[in-house]
Amino acid sequence: MSEEILKAITQLFAIISKQDGGVSDNERGFAINFFQQELEKSTVDEYLKLYDEISGYIGQTDKHEDDRSNKPTSVKDSIRTLAICKKINKTLTQKQKVVVLIKILELVSSDKQFTNQRMEIVNTVSTVFNIIQDEYKLIESFVVSEQISSLNFSDILIANEGNQAATPLQKHMHAHVDGHFVFLQVSSVGMYFVKYLGKDSNNLNGFTMKPSRVYLFSQGSIIKTPDGGALYYSDLVADFNAEIRTIKLSFVAKIDEFIFPNGAIGIRDVKIAEGPGKLIGIMGASGAGKTTLLNILAGLEKPGKGTIKINGFDIHADKSKVEGVIGYVAQDDLLIEELTVYQNLYYNAKLCFAQLKEAEIHERVMKALEDLGLDHRKDLKVGSILDKQISGGQRKRLNIALELIREPAILFLDEPTSGLSSRDSENVIDLLKELSLKGKLIFVVIHQPSSDIYKMFDKMILMDTGGYPTYYGNPVAAVTYFKKATNQVDSGRGQCEVCGNVNPEQIFNIIEARVVDEYGQPTNKRKVTPMQWNEMFKSNFKPALIEKTHEEPPQSLHLPSRLSQAIIFTKRNFLAKLSNKQYLLINLLEAPTLAILLAFIIKYKSAPSGKEYLFRYNENLPAFMLMAIIVALFMGLTVSAEEIIRDRKILKRESFLNLSWSSYLISKLAILFLLSAIQTFTFIIIGNWILEIQGMTLAFWFVLFTTSCFANVLGLNISSAFNSAVTVYILIPLLLIPQMILSGLLFDFDKLNELLSTKGKVPLMADLMTSRWAYEAIAVYQFKNNEYQKTYYDYERNEAEADFRSAYLADELKKKNQFLIDTYDSKEDSILQIQKINKQILFTELKNESFKAGISEVDMNSVFIQNGYTPKIGAQLNQYLDDYKKHYQKEYNANSDLIEKKMAFYQSQGFDIQQEKNSYFNESLSDLVRNVSAKERIMEYQGMLIQHIDPVFQSPNPKHFADYRTAFFFPEKNLFGLTVSTYTFNLVVIWCMTTIFFIALYFEVLRRIVGIFGQFSLSLKK
Amino acid sequence: MKLILIVVVAGILCSCTSDKKPDDQAFLESLDTTKTAGAGVDEEVINSILDQIPSPIEISMLLKESGSKYNAGLLNPTDNLPKYNSNFNKALNLGIYGTDLGYTNIFGNNQDGIKYISSIKSLADELNIGQFFDVKTIGRLATNSKNLDSLLLITTMNFNHINHYLQSQSRDNLSVLLLTGGWLEAMQITCQTAAKNPQNKQLQETIGEQKIILEQIMLLFSFYKEDSHMVSLMEDLNQLKVAFDKININYTYKESTMEIVNGVAVIKDNSTTTIDITQENIEEIKNITNSIRTKIIN
Repeated sequence: MSEEILKAITQLFAIISKQDGGVSDNERGFAINFFQQELEKSTVDEYLKLYDEISGYIGQTDKHEDDRSNKPTSVKDSIRTLAICKKINKTLTQKQKVVVLIKILELVSSDKQFTNQRMEIVNTVSTVFNIIQDEYKLIESFVVSEQISSLNFSDILIANEGNQAATPLQKHMHAHVDGHFVFLQVSSVGMYFVKYLGKDSNNLNGFTMKPSRVYLFSQGSIIKTPDGGALYYSDLVADFNAEIRTIKLSFVAKIDEFIFPNGAIGIRDVKIAEGPGKLIGIMGASGAGKTTLLNILAGLEKPGKGTIKINGFDIHADKSKVEGVIGYVAQDDLLIEELTVYQNLYYNAKLCFAQLKEAEIHERVMKALEDLGLDHRKDLKVGSILDKQISGGQRKRLNIALELIREPAILFLDEPTSGLSSRDSENVIDLLKELSLKGKLIFVVIHQPSSDIYKMFDKMILMDTGGYPTYYGNPVAAVTYFKKATNQVDSGRGQCEVCGNVNPEQIFNIIEARVVDEYGQPTNKRKVTPMQWNEMFKSNFKPALIEKTHEEPPQSLHLPSRLSQAIIFTKRNFLAKLSNKQYLLINLLEAPTLAILLAFIIKYKSAPSGKEYLFRYNENLPAFMLMAIIVALFMGLTVSAEEIIRDRKILKRESFLNLSWSSYLISKLAILFLLSAIQTFTFIIIGNWILEIQGMTLAFWFVLFTTSCFANVLGLNISSAFNSAVTVYILIPLLLIPQMILSGLLFDFDKLNELLSTKGKVPLMADLMTSRWAYEAIAVYQFKNNEYQKTYYDYERNEAEADFRSAYLADELKKKNQFLIDTYDSKEDSILQIQKINKQILFTELKNESFKAGISEVDMNSVFIQNGYTPKIGAQLNQYLDDYKKHYQKEYNANSDLIEKKMAFYQSQGFDIQQEKNSYFNESLSDLVRNVSAKERIMEYQGMLIQHIDPVFQSPNPKHFADYRTAFFFPEKNLFGLTVSTYTFNLVVIWCMTTIFFIALYFEVLRRIVGIFGQFSLSLKK
Repeated sequence: MKLILIVVVAGILCSCTSDKKPDDQAFLESLDTTKTAGAGVDEEVINSILDQIPSPIEISMLLKESGSKYNAGLLNPTDNLPKYNSNFNKALNLGIYGTDLGYTNIFGNNQDGIKYISSIKSLADELNIGQFFDVKTIGRLATNSKNLDSLLLITTMNFNHINHYLQSQSRDNLSVLLLTGGWLEAMQITCQTAAKNPQNKQLQETIGEQKIILEQIMLLFSFYKEDSHMVSLMEDLNQLKVAFDKININYTYKESTMEIVNGVAVIKDNSTTTIDITQENIEEIKNITNSIRTKIIN
């Protein structure tokens, strides 16, 4: 209190006591007492002088009877009073003003001279102090009245031996006291005052209470009666608070044992039973299991043996019943750093209150911000730890606000004050205290609290190393309990006599006290082991009985539908991404930069003359396509790989909201797919532009987009499975390199390890690679559908087919047939074996042959499968094969003629064939998809003849309904009986893979697998 | 959903490009008016004529022996490769490149040789006769300059194989074009060289001898009356024939005699051939050959 204010109060005292007959000794005595409380001895005289001067105190001896006559209050005094009150108004808080008012009333009542003028001045003071008239009346009655029966107010509570209240409105509490304790609640400021009417010498926080004097009953106060009874602040508040009484909430935890995954016991035999409106602290040495206990209570971890019940509903078994009842604030900041303070709260509120309108949500958010003193910071970005925009305390408060905004009935906080200044810590705990007074049940893990904070708790749970509970009860009483337990002196006093401070450290000093060796050095051995403390605890404490309720717990949650959730998530996610300029810039510039880099580097003077760039002769096109796919995969993976890890903390918090996981994932996908679409589009637009790839932009883009989307989902999978971003990034090469190896371009599928490869088919292992599907789709599409090739594709295909038959297949079949004729009489097993294979080959090749001139009446089945082969048929076949060869030669010539004609036709229409071919057709790609470099153009493999050349002109020959397998670069595939173009088929395959991975993500399959491996390695260590 | 998207994308693609070309329908309608070609020539007839045409490499050998110097300007540059799109052009120029390869080979200019090999390979692939060029082997040989001789030889040899293959595949028209191309290029080189060295009688005589070859080629072309490309080329060759007709080849027949040389009976041909060819004839043939060749290579 400043000198000025003290002067003002002194003046007020003097003016009041001067009225109606001047100062009495009692009044002066009260004033002196007040000065002595507030001031040092040396300055008391100074103020007393001032008091005397104004009040006109002239000493007992000189007092004249006339002065005590009824004189009206002088105008001068009135004005002076007003001036003083206004001055006080400017500096003192409302709470302090209430205290001043009570002091003034006490002054008046010290002499029982309640004259009109005096009361009028007091009344004026209260009006100027902005104290509501009703409340003033209440305060006046409380201070003045000596009879409990005259106090008929709902904000009065009487504690006495009686069993009921003296008046209808008054509250009552049973206590073993001589006389009465009168408690006053000043609800506008949330303060409590007490006065004792009786003869006993009671103890308030260790100080003797004078009868009829008004005392501030501050937080954590305890009144002790001579016979050992105690009145706790928390009990009293609960009794006062009507709201709390109506809340039906019981929290009963019975944890017999909790075992860590590594086998150590974390928590032993903890029993907690609490009702609404309590602020409960959990303390203990590090490693005592505080956070573990909190997590178990909050339902984050399942107790091995035991149950946690809210209103009788088990939080694990009846999850749906307790949905939204629990709030949890972790030790770390669970904020979305890219969003502003307001946005963080806003989207959280949107997810909690589907039923509220936009304006109501705004109101609610603003209220929460105001309550926490964050309203003027609302538009600041939260920022990361390194790039702080708001202070640590504000972050913490915002964290709590995120939970508070939805007002869960039970709130768990893990060290909400760690890292905060003492002022910020106090603010946070103040806030929690206020909430508890509104009926919330709050559990707080707290570390080294200050005395003020410590006293704010209603109860304290102390844990000792090894998960042993050692105390559960009133915090201040804990000090005396442990002092007593170790037979210390002054064990009756919990707090400092002079300042009222409690030193919670004392408790731990006692608990952890070590045995001292003969040299006075502390040893490692504890004086009292955790087990012993626990034994003591068990014999001293019995869990309180809590009114058991079986109503459904109060819920404040109205979750939006899954779709709305997805939309809210997406919006939030989108805003967060937008506000992260670096992230946005890098992601949007990455693709065009890579495209420029890649395309620029590989664009060279490719024409045979070496003078200009010709798309047709660019030998880098096949490699460019592969790089484009790898870039799409890489960008897709990197952009998604951290998504879930980064959100993990936020997900932990939101798990209490029971928000939809699928909505969350869909929101992720929406953003990532959008980003992928943009990235791949910019990449291909620029890449194709530089390399002059014409007419392919959309087709290429869709393949790259599809690939990138797959990578997104894959990235989300690993992001959800692993705990650190580093692990995930280390994994990326592991995922990408096989994609490169088995893409089909770098290594020929026919030249892979025999274990993997199937001749004439893409290896099954490669079928697992997105790159292979994407590459095939792009390459085949570019070859088949470019503006030049598409005109001639069908003819060239017929031409190539006829060429293969006439030039290779006919001769090969003839050789087989000749062998059969030559060895017809042979009985050697080895020859019979070859015969069998040859027959098989002839059968397969001729079975579906459309040209059958001369053998149309031959039954293939009986000839080749059932020993019906004779040299005569052989000769017939030889003749047939000659015709076959001629037939296909003709076919070939006819088609190549058609091609020539078509070219001529277009040329006659004014098209420049050469120009067209130069700008749309690529020789290297053509060589690749036609496999012209194949040495063996036809090959025998497992009773089949395999065509190695011209895959892009072949047709699939499915063995069964679901046989999709072909060699690489086939133009079509079999999709359950349908012949589908490779482009479509491959894209369908990638989207199917994407869907499968999404399902895996939804069920967190990979996370579970990783979890199993984690356990396995742990058990190995043991 | 995805399928719809694909359809949409495909639709956009189609709509982007469809307005450029007349569709297949227009082409197929145009086909009805033209007669479909059919060679219908007996293989053996063709084969017997083809066998008489000398390999281009023989002419190149002659050039080398004549003492003329390597001149890359005489050859068809590989830069022209993108221009050859029809099978007709491809086959002719494949022949031309074959001769050029032989020429570089004889004169030992390996660097140019490699270029021709790659062009030949590329044209051969397009004509579906790429199997005669194993790129892997060529590539391996090409990395070491010591191997170049054998590399060039292999490639040259391949031409013979190709000819036989094409004949066996009823694609003899290509074979004819291949050889014609090769012959024309050889003619061109020889004429150019001969024009520069008027005193070299042997070269002149060689050119004169080609009169017979040209007649054979013309005979071959006469089998392909239905192929418009070949007909027009034949017309060009006809001009050349007119020029050649001015040359007289006097063949004096004398009875062959049998002599005993070292105890072995040997039949001795006593007939003589004299060729009347002037510098003007050479100039004319050179100009016509050049103009036909220019038409083909461009």
